[in-house]
Amino acid sequence: MTRDRQFQTTLIAPSIFVLLLIGVFPLVYLLVVSFQGITMTANDTSFHGLRNFAQLMQDTRAWESLLHTLVFTGVALPLELVLGLLMAQLFIDHLPGRPVFVALLVLPVVVSPIVSGATWSLMFDNRFGPINQVIGWLAGREVTLLWTIQPNLVYPAILVAEVWQWTPFMFLLLLAALSAVDKSQLEAAAIDGAGYWRTFFRIVLPAIWPVMAVAILIRGLDLFRLFDIVWALTKGGPGTTTETLSIFTYVKGFQQFETSYTAAVALLIIFALSVAVTLALRRVQLSR
Amino acid sequence: MADLKISALHKYYGTMHAVRGIDLEIPAGEFTVLVGQSGCGKSTLLRTIAGLEDIGSGTIAIAGEVVNDLPPRERDIAMVFQNYALYPYMTVYDNIAFGLRARKTPRSEIESKVQAAAKMLAIDHLLDRHPRQLSGGQLQRVAIGRAIVRNARLYLFDEPLSNLDAQLRDEMRGEIKRLHQELGKTMIYVTHDQIEAMTMADRIVLMREGRIEQQGAPLDLYERPATKYVAGFLGSPAMNFIPAQLVADGGGLALRLADNTRLALPAQRAARYATQRDRAVTLGVRPEHIGRARAGDTRAGLARCAADIDLVQPTGSRTYGTFRLGGQEVIAELQAHDVPKVHERVELAIDMNRALLIDPQTEAVL
Amino acid sequence: MKVQHRRQVTQAARLAGAVLLTVGFLFPIYWLFMMSFKTADEIYAYPPVWWPSGLQLGNYVVLFKDGDARAVWNSLVVSSLSTLAAMFLGTICAYSLARFKTGGDHLANWIISQRMVPPIAVVFPIFLLYVWFHWVDTYFGLILLYTAFNLPYVIWMMRGYILDIPIALEQAALVDGYTRWQVLWKVVFPMCRAGLFATAVFTFVFAWNDFIFALVLTRTEVTTYTVQVTHYFGGQSNFWAKISAMSVLGTVPIFIVVGFMQRYLVRGISLGAVKG
Repeated sequence: MTRDRQFQTTLIAPSIFVLLLIGVFPLVYLLVVSFQGITMTANDTSFHGLRNFAQLMQDTRAWESLLHTLVFTGVALPLELVLGLLMAQLFIDHLPGRPVFVALLVLPVVVSPIVSGATWSLMFDNRFGPINQVIGWLAGREVTLLWTIQPNLVYPAILVAEVWQWTPFMFLLLLAALSAVDKSQLEAAAIDGAGYWRTFFRIVLPAIWPVMAVAILIRGLDLFRLFDIVWALTKGGPGTTTETLSIFTYVKGFQQFETSYTAAVALLIIFALSVAVTLALRRVQLSR
Repeated sequence: MADLKISALHKYYGTMHAVRGIDLEIPAGEFTVLVGQSGCGKSTLLRTIAGLEDIGSGTIAIAGEVVNDLPPRERDIAMVFQNYALYPYMTVYDNIAFGLRARKTPRSEIESKVQAAAKMLAIDHLLDRHPRQLSGGQLQRVAIGRAIVRNARLYLFDEPLSNLDAQLRDEMRGEIKRLHQELGKTMIYVTHDQIEAMTMADRIVLMREGRIEQQGAPLDLYERPATKYVAGFLGSPAMNFIPAQLVADGGGLALRLADNTRLALPAQRAARYATQRDRAVTLGVRPEHIGRARAGDTRAGLARCAADIDLVQPTGSRTYGTFRLGGQEVIAELQAHDVPKVHERVELAIDMNRALLIDPQTEAVL
Repeated sequence: MKVQHRRQVTQAARLAGAVLLTVGFLFPIYWLFMMSFKTADEIYAYPPVWWPSGLQLGNYVVLFKDGDARAVWNSLVVSSLSTLAAMFLGTICAYSLARFKTGGDHLANWIISQRMVPPIAVVFPIFLLYVWFHWVDTYFGLILLYTAFNLPYVIWMMRGYILDIPIALEQAALVDGYTRWQVLWKVVFPMCRAGLFATAVFTFVFAWNDFIFALVLTRTEVTTYTVQVTHYFGGQSNFWAKISAMSVLGTVPIFIVVGFMQRYLVRGISLGAVKG
């Protein structure tokens, strides 16, 4: 048995070492530095207590960035879920050439979010982008909407890019889940006299819920960390209108070099996410 | 309660002709069993009656009403599935009540109906449980409960006992039959198990390759099969088939087997086949009609032969002995305690009154 | 026959819907690709040109001439090597978790929780760590980082794939006299070959598509293609030609590689929650 123990240790040691190096050290660092006073100008490593955290609570820009992030999450996630479900319903019954359609529809997901943002910058360009051109056709006159600059247009623009890229993700997962629903239950419901909606809500939805929960968890997490797409389209602008939490943290750390303050922000983000994820996992039971 | 009439029904799966021109009339209140090997089309036929499958051509009429274009929910039928098809996220109560709720039945009525159905099937103590907490037999009862609670006019069973172990199956067979006696509804039951068919049916419809091979009361099919297929399908162990030739024997006819054994036909039967002399036939005789010859048994029609027993299989209630006759392996049914030794020579008597003569080419019973 | 007819009509409608959807979703990708083949006149033509006159490769040539295409090479090197490292270390670790349940639930949960860590929160301390080690803007540095960040994914997925293999095969090999290491190489790895490839592909894609770490941890030597693309976004105007060409250069390899992994797509992107 001790030989097995040795074997196991050899197998897991390198992985654990790498994970600790890149995973634990930053946490320790954040913990320490967030209680200090290191800024762009001062390298003050004395104990500053909770001053950084208190400052954070007052920081309107920080709260706004949180709000922006929640807005993105709150709008994009349900949209992607509903659209993905509708698409899956479209494809679930027999359709000629379905594998081809699915393979093509998945392409937006594997593109880099930066490329996605760049693509939609192209699409939304006020003079040379097809979006304005098509709207112009429909409206009958020339339109020059500044999608990436006008404050009331930037949110729709970013949301369009985000939903475009990730709805296929939901679609793919929900299609797989729908395919796995026991057909004889649906047949029994048909014979029992249940209509479309009753069958959907009472039988189909409970059956696909486990997969839906995982999809929501994964997308929800990703949306909370939203950075690349927004950066490519607006860089958080105009001003700080579309600044997400991640962009805010980046700016504070790498443009303003507010080291300790950024550490406090980062720490809180990790803490909040850990709590949320643990609660969610407990309900969904991911680890087999 | 309704009768069922199917006319000229055809069904294709792509190019596969699954159901080939079925005509079937089932009077109201009858328990009909569709039986046959896998792939004979019985399940397909049942599913077209239910409306779960489209038909190629033909008509299906329930209580005189043509239902071809009606979806399942409008045909007023109930169905019990092989894998139960219960809704896993609902309690037993909700499962049974589902169909009633879908038709907007008032709650008090639902309550009384569900309780009545549950009591009839002895599952009223399980109403709060979920399917995953139940055993196979209990699950099947819940599935049946869901079907009977709606008081539909036609009941369809798609191999409901296939997933149960042998003992449970025996129990449930009796339960379903008793249910039919109590409810008196028209029931159509699909199975591949000929014992289920024999014990439960008012009428057996034996299907083969998409067609009806023969239909009728169980004992009719058993004792008067129309073809070799029907004869060999019903009865366990299966009927023995031995190639033979009708030859003259004294004043009457006899069957001469490949090993020159002669089995004389009784007088009445000889008269019937008088014109068929010298014809090649297949002799069909059931194991229960071959037994050990007893001295003093002089009934007419018993043909005697001697054979070496190759294999002995005691089942407790009787013993089956395998021996060679006419170049074939033949099974005889012996008394329970009559366990010969292997290779022991035994005197056997074959009841030629009950034997069948079958045309080797057409496989029709003569 | 009416029911059948209705079904055929709905199928035709759904087919039309499917085609419309696919065209709609692929249109932006089409626009991106098409843009990269346009001449400068066509790019800045108004109204916008929907179909270029020819597939001219001028924009790509410029990228190669200016040496910008090196970014794609950097991405390739960094992603491939980090994938190899993560796959090797991660799979053997996954084996230990799968067969010996090493560390029990706690270790497994800790590992998967590493995947949930938001990059933005840890990129700063990692940056400082790298400065201290002189690892900024080095191949090694970025490879190490991607290996570390993809390890949880690899371990999680390979654990699932290994659990799908019947253990009887390994037990038979042990009885036959193989050592544990030999069992790993000769029995386990070949059996989960498909899972290995699939996971490797997705690990590669994660590294390839990353932006924030590449942005922070590289300067000029190891710029990956994602960072390179953002260099073309100017304050006043954007170099559309370069943006689109570089994006296409960075996207086509992924399309090809994921195209081969269709069967494992659902399982790969859902972290194994859906077997597809």
